[in-house]
Amino acid sequence: MLRRLTYGQVYLLLALLLAASVIASASIGAFMFPPSAIARFVGEGLSLLPSRPDDILDRNVFFILRLPRVLLCGLTGAILGVSGALMQGLFRNPIVEPGLAGTSAGAALGAAIVFVFGSSTAFSFASPLGTAGVPLLAFLCSFGATMLVYRLSTSFGRTDVFTLLLAGIALNAMCNAGTGFLSYIARDPQARNITFWNLGTFTTADWRGAILVGIAFAACFVLALRHGKNLNALMLGEDNAAYMGVEPERLIFRLIVINTIMVSVATAMVGVIAFVGLVVPHLLRLMRSSDYTFLLPASALLGALLMEIVDIVARLVIQPAELPIGIITALLGAPFFLWILIRERRSDTYG
Amino acid sequence: MADAAVRIRDVSYAAGSVQILSAIALDFQPGRFNVVLGPNGAGKSTLMRIAAGRLAPTSGDVLYGETSVAAFDMTALARRRAFLSQNVELTFPLAVEDVVLMGRYPHYRGVPSLKDKEIVARALDLVDMTARRHQPYPTLSGGERQKTHLARVLAQIWNDEESAEERILFLDEPTTSLDIHYQLHLLDTAREFLKRRCTIVASLHDLNMAFDYGDRFFLLESGRLVHEADSARAVPKDLIERVYRVKAETGEGGYWRFRL
Amino acid sequence: MRLILRRFPALLALALLASSPGALAADPPPGGRVVCVSKQINEFIFDIGAQSHLVARDLTSIYPKEILSLPSVGYHRALSAEGIVSMRPSVLLTDGNVGPNEVLDRVRSVGIPVVTMDPGDSLQGAEDLMLRLGTYFGRAQQATAIVATWKAGMAETIADAKRWDGQKKPKVMMIHFGQIGNSYLGLSAKGPAEQILEWAGGKNALSGDGHMAHLTPEMIAGARPDIIIATDVGFDRYGSAAKFAEMPGVNLTPAGRNLRIYRIDETEIMYFSPRTPASVAKIAQWLHGQ
Repeated sequence: MLRRLTYGQVYLLLALLLAASVIASASIGAFMFPPSAIARFVGEGLSLLPSRPDDILDRNVFFILRLPRVLLCGLTGAILGVSGALMQGLFRNPIVEPGLAGTSAGAALGAAIVFVFGSSTAFSFASPLGTAGVPLLAFLCSFGATMLVYRLSTSFGRTDVFTLLLAGIALNAMCNAGTGFLSYIARDPQARNITFWNLGTFTTADWRGAILVGIAFAACFVLALRHGKNLNALMLGEDNAAYMGVEPERLIFRLIVINTIMVSVATAMVGVIAFVGLVVPHLLRLMRSSDYTFLLPASALLGALLMEIVDIVARLVIQPAELPIGIITALLGAPFFLWILIRERRSDTYG
Repeated sequence: MADAAVRIRDVSYAAGSVQILSAIALDFQPGRFNVVLGPNGAGKSTLMRIAAGRLAPTSGDVLYGETSVAAFDMTALARRRAFLSQNVELTFPLAVEDVVLMGRYPHYRGVPSLKDKEIVARALDLVDMTARRHQPYPTLSGGERQKTHLARVLAQIWNDEESAEERILFLDEPTTSLDIHYQLHLLDTAREFLKRRCTIVASLHDLNMAFDYGDRFFLLESGRLVHEADSARAVPKDLIERVYRVKAETGEGGYWRFRL
Repeated sequence: MRLILRRFPALLALALLASSPGALAADPPPGGRVVCVSKQINEFIFDIGAQSHLVARDLTSIYPKEILSLPSVGYHRALSAEGIVSMRPSVLLTDGNVGPNEVLDRVRSVGIPVVTMDPGDSLQGAEDLMLRLGTYFGRAQQATAIVATWKAGMAETIADAKRWDGQKKPKVMMIHFGQIGNSYLGLSAKGPAEQILEWAGGKNALSGDGHMAHLTPEMIAGARPDIIIATDVGFDRYGSAAKFAEMPGVNLTPAGRNLRIYRIDETEIMYFSPRTPASVAKIAQWLHGQ
């Protein structure tokens, strides 16, 4: 579809669409903000325009609820997209994503542990333990789960798809069982947070979360971008990558760390959102190329774009209430996953 | 003593309790087509991997010129030598020229320079794949795939400057599973490349083809070097019969004929 | 993306600027627009005739029927701040049982006050809640009158309950949702439901210190209840006492064998209200036939 475009042109196209989706997402929801209103709020906020008293509620909703949500949503989408591309490169397999390889479920378990055993008032970002504890434990559990799936499914530089799927299922089941157990032994307000947050949602978005996820994304994305060529080389297997100057063992370890940091911070903030990491790089492969120097930046853009669109849907379907976004991504993503599996099997039989 | 491109110094290798190579000492000759011979399980691949610096020997050392291969950093090593394996797995739909460009990865950061792109174009030309450069790799035939990878490894050690040091090209049973046309094409192209200050180290199964293309021969048996020679005729018949467990006779034009 | 990141500090400053006015508003003036996400408070607001102030409810507030014409802002434990705020309320009323935890902060942060009126588990707390709402909505007179009638009714009910002293009380199990997966939710000790049951001359078949307990078929069978009272949500899923009695565990109890399974509206036993005397009488009728 986009095969004739250069990478730069694809980035530009995606960036324009992303900008449009961000504006749409900032405008549409239980509150409707036409672009003129947004411009006025910004003007008032920067004291360029006189503040109109009847704007206060709308302006507050825009700056305190909507804007951080739009940002958090885009950043989370970008993280999941990049993470999908990274993991598919690491496993040399197009069906891997953080939801499948135990990365997200591990992070969920880690966060649940902090909810239940952390401070007595459950999960309070006000306390220093809450701020550091949730992402930290989310990272540790997430890293453990991902490493385990990698080790189990990959031997002698080859990833076996069936072992990968089975190991992923087993690790996800273990982590979900752990989370489920915790929600049973937890007292009421804690349990409520766990179950709610397992579905993935942006309703609790605030500036603190958006900034934290933004920092995690910026740092990890810059590091990940340096490895585009290495991931390409890794497509030829660990040995061939090594002959081209890549140290595969070190690369894999580093990328799993980078990937897990991003995913666990995002998961600690918004909960588990599956299938975005699977769909995004795959669409880009179909449309343009499997070249990771292209896939990494493009996955960030397309991931953010898709997530903004899905979040708009989540906000509109049962207005003024809203759906957890994880439900929508799973609903759309799971059939896509099956389609990829079938395609993969076909190409296996032909090859 | 002649200068050696790659010097194998008393290299032994054991995997667990299994001794795979025992005290191998040999020099691969610069600017020549060195061929490692031996039956399955003789340790050819292990020797190639150790010589290329991918595997560390249990004891002994590998020198490129005067420098131990272990002292190179990965990128410098990748600019010095390239390695073509018998079949490379790649299931993602990457364009042929993107695969060949991978050979230039050790040479640039960020985006490829004009020179890198030119080398890719010339390598594609050398293997007759220019017309297919935009084609997705998975749609190629087995022979075309191996041509693509040959172009990739040639681009990796492309040597334009007179002053630059000798490059080394390892070919690990590169013709396995190719039809005769692609086999000859690959070995012709490789030989052509010798002119660019390059040393070739190849392991081959087909003895007649090896004797046609090679300049110097190293025969391995059970992890030991049992013979070195400069021509087919210099390898004793009884040695070949013993090592390969066949009956051999020389036929027309010095070609060997084998039967059990 | 980079551009957005670079603008972060500016945006943050903007957000802080925007949040300062109105964020610390004092008590809201009565008579504003109210979003209430508590079924008990919603019922009481209708009791005192202040329902014209309500602009939205939560999903579980379904009594009285007229409240169904109001939009729902979702399940009270999975709320969305923006959905609530979009109703442009002057106040959000809760009884404290809401989630996720951050939502109340979000709502407050845009300048909408959140008032939490937690009546606790006692009858006194419920009566106080009614009076508080009366004052709050400027309908103290109505509230006082309702509470007076209510108190009189309760006094009669409690006096009546004396007649069960020394009698054999049937064992009653109250099941809230029916079966979910392999688990039922039972109403156990220390809640209004148990108090109402005792006034009606029944004995809770469950013990425990929470309001709800996860039940298994074996627990139900082992508790041997003579009577089962199922709330509307669970009962209606099965449709009849006979169907309900077929559930694993329930079918082994005396209640199941004798089809002594009754349906009650959740709002009649989950909290105290002016309807409580009537509910007690209704349950007593089921338990003792008198």
